Amino acid sequence: MRTSEIAKRPVVTLGGEDVGQIKDIVYSAGGGAVGGFTLAGRGLFAGPLKQALPWRSVLALGSDAVMIADEDALEPAQEVFDASASTGGSGGNVLGSAVLTDTGTDLGTVRDVIVEVSGAHEGQCDVVGYEIEASQALGHKGTRMMIPLPDTLAASGEHLIVPASARDFVADDLAGFGAAVEAFRAQLGGRD
Amino acid sequence: MRFSEAMGRKVVSTSTADTVGKVDGFVVDPSTRTVLALEVHKAESGDVLRWADVGSFGVDAVTVVADDAITEADDQVTALLGKDHRLVGKRVLSTEGDELGKVEDVEFEPGSGAVTLLVLDRGEVAGVRLRGVGSYAVVVTAE
Repeated sequence: MRTSEIAKRPVVTLGGEDVGQIKDIVYSAGGGAVGGFTLAGRGLFAGPLKQALPWRSVLALGSDAVMIADEDALEPAQEVFDASASTGGSGGNVLGSAVLTDTGTDLGTVRDVIVEVSGAHEGQCDVVGYEIEASQALGHKGTRMMIPLPDTLAASGEHLIVPASARDFVADDLAGFGAAVEAFRAQLGGRD
Repeated sequence: MRFSEAMGRKVVSTSTADTVGKVDGFVVDPSTRTVLALEVHKAESGDVLRWADVGSFGVDAVTVVADDAITEADDQVTALLGKDHRLVGKRVLSTEGDELGKVEDVEFEPGSGAVTLLVLDRGEVAGVRLRGVGSYAVVVTAE
């Protein structure tokens, strides 16, 4: 799932009330997982909310709504930021960062973040890859491609470093991407 | 029986044989998945008939024993009155966050008042799956 598709999705309680909509994603674990979401109010003139939604309170990340039990699921935004920071920083905003392999090849620029929910409720929301605007190195300059990520990676505001072998698992679309991530991570695991 | 069939049905008092009002709406309690009360219009004594005070929900009329059965809404009914708690016309979300359609009609059991089926513009959802009814959506348990 692309995170750009999650933004603006309504946050709805099991009682059927919409308490807000997703504004931004708060990353935890060094950018490797989703720690929670900041929220905006619903409606034309609604601004950002002071409350945020930690990932552990999300019952389901659906295609049309993010489900929560009730309004108690929300926490002060600062607490969600702090909790995510304590697990290795928010990772900052990666959109626009250049993806470099550990051998120094520029693969392209991050345009979107791909996440996947592992396991049912209580499961993690993993960052599994990036959609990048490919560079010359990938042979399709300017086209959008999916690049899988290892469980952990190094990121500064400027660069993201991925293993050189990641380029062997680049996919054109989301359909084949899940398998590519698995194959890539299996290969990395085998090498250690 | 469906909400659409029962709308407008007259409410008749069996003690005086008078028509005391007309069914104008349904107050559903999602926690019990039953019709808690009927909204009644054209009645003098109030606009709510609690399901417990319904004599029988017949094919041609709803009967009540006492003509003072139609009352003003009490706190429990008030909390579930209004369009925020209405099912018909509202979008349906599963607990997985997927939209299933819009409620077009609701089927209920005339004896107990139990909600047995939500009829959507695409498909149907069993009444037992009803979880909540709010201003944004009707929430049903995912299959």
